[in-house]
Amino acid sequence: MVLQILLHVGAFSLDQDSQHVTPWHRLVPRTRLVCALLFVFATALTPHGYWITWALYGLGLTLLLLISRVTLSVLLRRVAVELVFLSVVLLGTLFRGGGQVLWQWGSLQITTVGLTILGSVSIKALLCLLMMNFLVLTTSIPALLHALAELRLPQLLVAILASMYRYIAVLVGEFETMQRAATARNLMGKKRWQRLVVGNMIGALFIRTYDRSDRIHQAMLSRGYSGLPPLAEVPRAGVGDGWAIAAMLSLLLGGFLLGWVG
Amino acid sequence: MTESIMSTALSWVGRSPLALHIPDGLLSPPVSLATWVVAIALIAAAIAQVKARYEERTVPLLGVCAAFIFAAQMINFPIPGGTSGHLLGGTLAGALLGPWAGSLVMVVVFIVQAALFQDGGLTVLGANIFNMGLIGTFGGYFLYKALRQLLGFNSWRGTSVAVAIAAWVSVVVAALICAVQLGLSGTVPMGIALVAMLSWHIAIGIGEALISVMAIGYIWRVRPDLLYDPPQRKAVRRVEHPALPR
Repeated sequence: MVLQILLHVGAFSLDQDSQHVTPWHRLVPRTRLVCALLFVFATALTPHGYWITWALYGLGLTLLLLISRVTLSVLLRRVAVELVFLSVVLLGTLFRGGGQVLWQWGSLQITTVGLTILGSVSIKALLCLLMMNFLVLTTSIPALLHALAELRLPQLLVAILASMYRYIAVLVGEFETMQRAATARNLMGKKRWQRLVVGNMIGALFIRTYDRSDRIHQAMLSRGYSGLPPLAEVPRAGVGDGWAIAAMLSLLLGGFLLGWVG
Repeated sequence: MTESIMSTALSWVGRSPLALHIPDGLLSPPVSLATWVVAIALIAAAIAQVKARYEERTVPLLGVCAAFIFAAQMINFPIPGGTSGHLLGGTLAGALLGPWAGSLVMVVVFIVQAALFQDGGLTVLGANIFNMGLIGTFGGYFLYKALRQLLGFNSWRGTSVAVAIAAWVSVVVAALICAVQLGLSGTVPMGIALVAMLSWHIAIGIGEALISVMAIGYIWRVRPDLLYDPPQRKAVRRVEHPALPR
């Protein structure tokens, strides 16, 4: 089951473009995170039908993608897969009353209002997905965690996030081992058995997890635990970072005003 | 590197198109804002409670448990009726770690899913935390506890029924509230949202209930002391079902 998925998702990887030397990569991670968050919130909270605004945002994002020399094929493949998962929810926005009726079949009807909302929501979702994927492709996860801490997210929350990130692969590995053991013993044949085995596996893994947390705690204490995973160097924000945030803000504000007037 | 590829890959397992994770752009500003306020209050309260209870053990315990929920959500299992689903884990986390630590663990899982795997949007993270953290985990825990006290706190029969009902109800109610949020935002019409979300999650909830009961049943037999509300020792009886199918 798990293996099937592993085979076809070789396309996914995190932060594979984090080592380029471009103006975007010269920004400290905190600035990149702030820019991405501003962009995502501004895009998602724009009212429906602000086409000019999104055109401008799209232009700005395209420019950013080109400047940062991100691997476009990887980015687009990730976004495409994510959009497929969203498509059903997005389609739900189409069928509604209001405006001019363009097409009708039984109680289902497509109206101008429905089309406007579908278009708006799809563009918003696309822009947000592009931005977040871009951020994760170009910035390593420890750097993002440090950025979150610098942005005054509660220390404890960041530390839990970091320790979770550290152990995801370990626990997924344990699950796979257990699943392989069950398959080897022919326990995954019947559906009823399969559920029972999965249930028992989850229970067994929790017991291991709890015991593991004790060992980790002891190990952390013995090594002088400091709260965050170490980062090679924590770069300081420079003049460029201020300009980047100013540029992002003016893009967002300009786009919004243009859409409001137009 | 390969580890992160694997975890990304695995996060896609068993995702249903009608999952409870709302993407960016589907909620209106007022709904986003209101749910964010509640979510931040929940996070702040949970952090304070958890700090007081676990002290310096908080980070290793909750970090590994969040990774555990993340991994458990990836496993597909068949649901009676033909489809397959995966665990959401809210009630399970609540029963194992208690309402505060349980919801904080779920919050951490949602943050990682939204920020790193784009599973659910950032602007709607508040709503996702509200639905599955507050309703699913916090609400699920108290429903489980009330039912267990009603049906027999120290008997496996009472506990298992309580877990099953709480798990099913928490999933269905979370889906219901998610549909209402979409309807209130004026994106998906209320009728379509309710029918689609409920019809799907009534089935998903059955899978959730079965797996939660089996997982907690295993812990009940092997290490009952690890449950957040362990049964009184003398009342623990051997459960008739063996750990593995014959």
